Amino acid sequence: MVSALDRKLLRDLWRMRGQVLAIALVLAAATATFVMSTGVHGSLTETRDAYYERNTFADVFATMTRAPRSVIGRVAAIPGVQRVQGSISQYATLDFPERNEPVRALIESVDESGRNPINRITLTSGRLPRRGQAGEVVVDEAFATANVREPGDRLDALIYGTRQSLTIVGIGLAPNHIYAMAPGDLIPDNTRFGIFWMGEQALEAATDRTQAINTLAVTLQRGASEADVIRQIDTIIAPYGGTGAYGRDEHLSHAFLDNELMQLEAMTRVIPPVFLLVAVFLVYIVLGRMIRTERTQIGLLKAFGYSDAAVGWHYLKFALAIALLASVLGTLGGAWMGRAMTGLYAEYYRFPFLVYRISPSVFLGAAALSLGAAALGALGGMRSAIRLNPAVAMSPPPPPVYRAGLVERLGHRAGFTAIGHMIARHIARWPGRSAITVFGVALSLALLFATMQFLDASRTMIDSFFLRGQGQDLTVTLVEPRREDALHALRQIPGVLRAEPTRALAVRLSNGNRHERTALESAMPGSQLTARIDADGSAIALPPAGLMLSRQLADQLGLRAGERVQVELLGGRRTTTMMPVASIVNEFVGARAYAAESTLEALARDGSPVGAVLLRVDPARQGEILTRLKDMPLVLGVTERDASVRLFEDMIDDNLYTMLFFYVSFASAIAVGVVYNSARILFAEREHELATLRVLGYFRSEVGVVLLGELALLICAAVIPGCLIGYWMAQLMTDMFSSDLFRLPFAPSRASFGWSIVIVMTAAMATALLVARGVSRLDMVAVLKARD
Amino acid sequence: MNQDPPAAAEHTPTSERALLAFSGTELRKIYRTGETEVHALRGIDLAIPQGELQVFLGPSGSGKSTLLNIIGGLDRPTSGTLYYEDIELSALGDRELTRFRRAHVGFIFQFYNLIPSLTAEENVRLVTDISENPMPAADALDLVGLADRRDHYPAQLSGGEQQRVAVARAVAKQPGVLLCDEPTGALDSATGVRVLETLARANRELGTTVLIITHNAGIAAMANRVLHFLDGRIARELVNPNPIEPGQITW
Repeated sequence: MVSALDRKLLRDLWRMRGQVLAIALVLAAATATFVMSTGVHGSLTETRDAYYERNTFADVFATMTRAPRSVIGRVAAIPGVQRVQGSISQYATLDFPERNEPVRALIESVDESGRNPINRITLTSGRLPRRGQAGEVVVDEAFATANVREPGDRLDALIYGTRQSLTIVGIGLAPNHIYAMAPGDLIPDNTRFGIFWMGEQALEAATDRTQAINTLAVTLQRGASEADVIRQIDTIIAPYGGTGAYGRDEHLSHAFLDNELMQLEAMTRVIPPVFLLVAVFLVYIVLGRMIRTERTQIGLLKAFGYSDAAVGWHYLKFALAIALLASVLGTLGGAWMGRAMTGLYAEYYRFPFLVYRISPSVFLGAAALSLGAAALGALGGMRSAIRLNPAVAMSPPPPPVYRAGLVERLGHRAGFTAIGHMIARHIARWPGRSAITVFGVALSLALLFATMQFLDASRTMIDSFFLRGQGQDLTVTLVEPRREDALHALRQIPGVLRAEPTRALAVRLSNGNRHERTALESAMPGSQLTARIDADGSAIALPPAGLMLSRQLADQLGLRAGERVQVELLGGRRTTTMMPVASIVNEFVGARAYAAESTLEALARDGSPVGAVLLRVDPARQGEILTRLKDMPLVLGVTERDASVRLFEDMIDDNLYTMLFFYVSFASAIAVGVVYNSARILFAEREHELATLRVLGYFRSEVGVVLLGELALLICAAVIPGCLIGYWMAQLMTDMFSSDLFRLPFAPSRASFGWSIVIVMTAAMATALLVARGVSRLDMVAVLKARD
Repeated sequence: MNQDPPAAAEHTPTSERALLAFSGTELRKIYRTGETEVHALRGIDLAIPQGELQVFLGPSGSGKSTLLNIIGGLDRPTSGTLYYEDIELSALGDRELTRFRRAHVGFIFQFYNLIPSLTAEENVRLVTDISENPMPAADALDLVGLADRRDHYPAQLSGGEQQRVAVARAVAKQPGVLLCDEPTGALDSATGVRVLETLARANRELGTTVLIITHNAGIAAMANRVLHFLDGRIARELVNPNPIEPGQITW
């Protein structure tokens, strides 16, 4: 049996369904983003952890030029090491006769009997390579799918300078390649880069490394010190050209996934609170208005003997009912969005299984957030309902008092019409509610802007990193650093307009007890094809002596320009020198270090200054050149800049636009929710006055101006605070989304401001117009019969 | 006693009709609420001469307010025709009715219906802003004796003062007709008389046709003509050859 008071509650909810729904939508947006991001975060983390566990993902990694298998035993003896796996990994160029763009693979060795202790492969079809069968490979699933390959297919590869025919015997994936990209890329390109696994024996033979390895993967015992183990591994592998062992945090695949998880978490921290805040305010103003109009009823209820608590609870339930509705809507929406997001992740991250699953705690958390926000908003109203004295409540409310204030004086000076005064004074009469409307619309604008500027950030990134930073059309990586003759060989190819050498040395930079492994990159003097672009867009020249560090790296090391840094050369000659930090460049991608060619030469002292060659080519002959490069044994791989740019743009189109679609709807939901509720309250409050104006001979449109004028004023007033909050929020989000891997540029464009303003204003004004249609339904006769 | 209004108003030539402020034939108004039909007006014929002060009397629900609303262009008859001078009100659309109210009608209500956020003068300006031939707002307030309270908000005025602001607002546009629905209903006798005096003055000095609905039969003594309503019809129409001054009304 529903009590009479609960019946009133249900009818109130139904009567105010528009407003209830508008608030519920804002709360639902909070719930949805929460459910989506925590759900996706949870699913990704769980999937990753389960995958790591099942396939034993390593804790520490190391690469070296070439080491005897015996180092495995020595590393295994280090205290704290649980298991060790030594293997060979080798980049190779693949030959697809029908395609001339460069396709590369990273080939790793596997134990033919499947007894790999670490980074085990999960086969999705086929089998592992057999011992004694040269050329049998397992291909990673994403590459196989993208290039339509299946077990039984054959393809040619150039491995370590030798052409070899490969047979695909299986399709699989491994936990150390959840995110796999070719060196120098920013985004995985499954059509041009794949991971291959070859039998140990076969790969040893192909790379001329019998009984030798070049990579180590290590798992640690629980509680072991990673830093200690890394230090000891480094000591063991140093003579074999070790480039420094590193933990998961520097492992590319792990770091990218981690970065993604961090961004999801940042989203959870920034976005739902915005919606929750708006919802708190909306509940506050709507319930406040409801209690003002139900004054007499409250007095009656109390006179009948309902306790203060019962009355307060009645109004709290109104708010909670909205929150409950919002939780259901938001959870459904969030789950749907989460599924879509997970689908997107599955395209970039290679998991054997990735199921979007939401744990009950996510639902409970989302419901708690929305109930909490609604209850918080209801507090003010409840308090006034509880405090209302029944005798006072049943007498008519005191008339609203208007006083001559600042607005008043301004109005007189501006020569307002009577209608103008009505608008201005009403705003001044309800400053709290007017402020909430302005603030709500401003937040919606801010949120929209903060998300839209990610497009600007991406464009700036493309412009700075690819278009201005890289003048080359092709980057040719060499199998090993070479003398100048390699450069000459490439210059001979018809269509090559310019060729510049670059080189990268593996180094460890240290400042006190801070260490960072990185590559020290160089460019030739007077280089036309490379540039280091600062955040403000200017190119910064390489210092004649000393190092140039990217801001990210300098921060990690706690260094400033002018200070000295310890440079330890990894791989090959192990020397340690102190060098000055000559300058710092504010770059977006990676934690990088640069030095002039001469500086690098002085460090390396090996007389082979060419690690890679940058080419500018005649676009008409690019295909021809690529074909030539495929057949050159000294070439390890080729990267086409335009393909990278295209890939980046595709990702923006796919992901960012999907996200933007969500956020445009969300931001609009806030604007609609706020404006709808303000407009409804405004309309209810002024219904009497508006009808009076109609009686006095004002046309509908003129009466509409009273309503729309006030709303338009408030909406326009939201533009400047909205842009300011948006600017601040965008900065915050840019910072939160930045990681060791890349920092997002903060480069909001005027267009983003403009679009955000246009979208929010359109949504807000359309909502206001919808409510203002009520003017034509004003009942002049009925309104005039009743006392206000 | 039952004096028929000029029969067959539809045949009245325009020149003759011009002497009448309102002329109506067979005016009916039916309200439908759900399944019930309420016949508020059951075929009223009407001829209200220009410049008269008339009082409508009758019990609640007798149709007098409905008629006043139709005359004022707030509502439309379900059937029948109604002219204001030579404008056929019963044929006008919403926009034209609004224009009619704006140009010709001044309203005064029992509950004043002032805009609380506007001062006395601004409430009057609300009307003078949109009319063609208004008197200055200050003059209108002067007329009702409230010149010194022009900058007060309604909440700062007594009930009688508020009603006088409403009267000033109604007369400021120099309307052809003043429609008053229970103008003294919420006032004590002294303030009521002041309001009525203002109405009489507008009627006398500006030649405005004044129609007053009231439950107070005493007020009938100041009218040129009194219409008694009963059950949606005009039951009686009394001509008063010697209207008295509002001050002499026994309340």
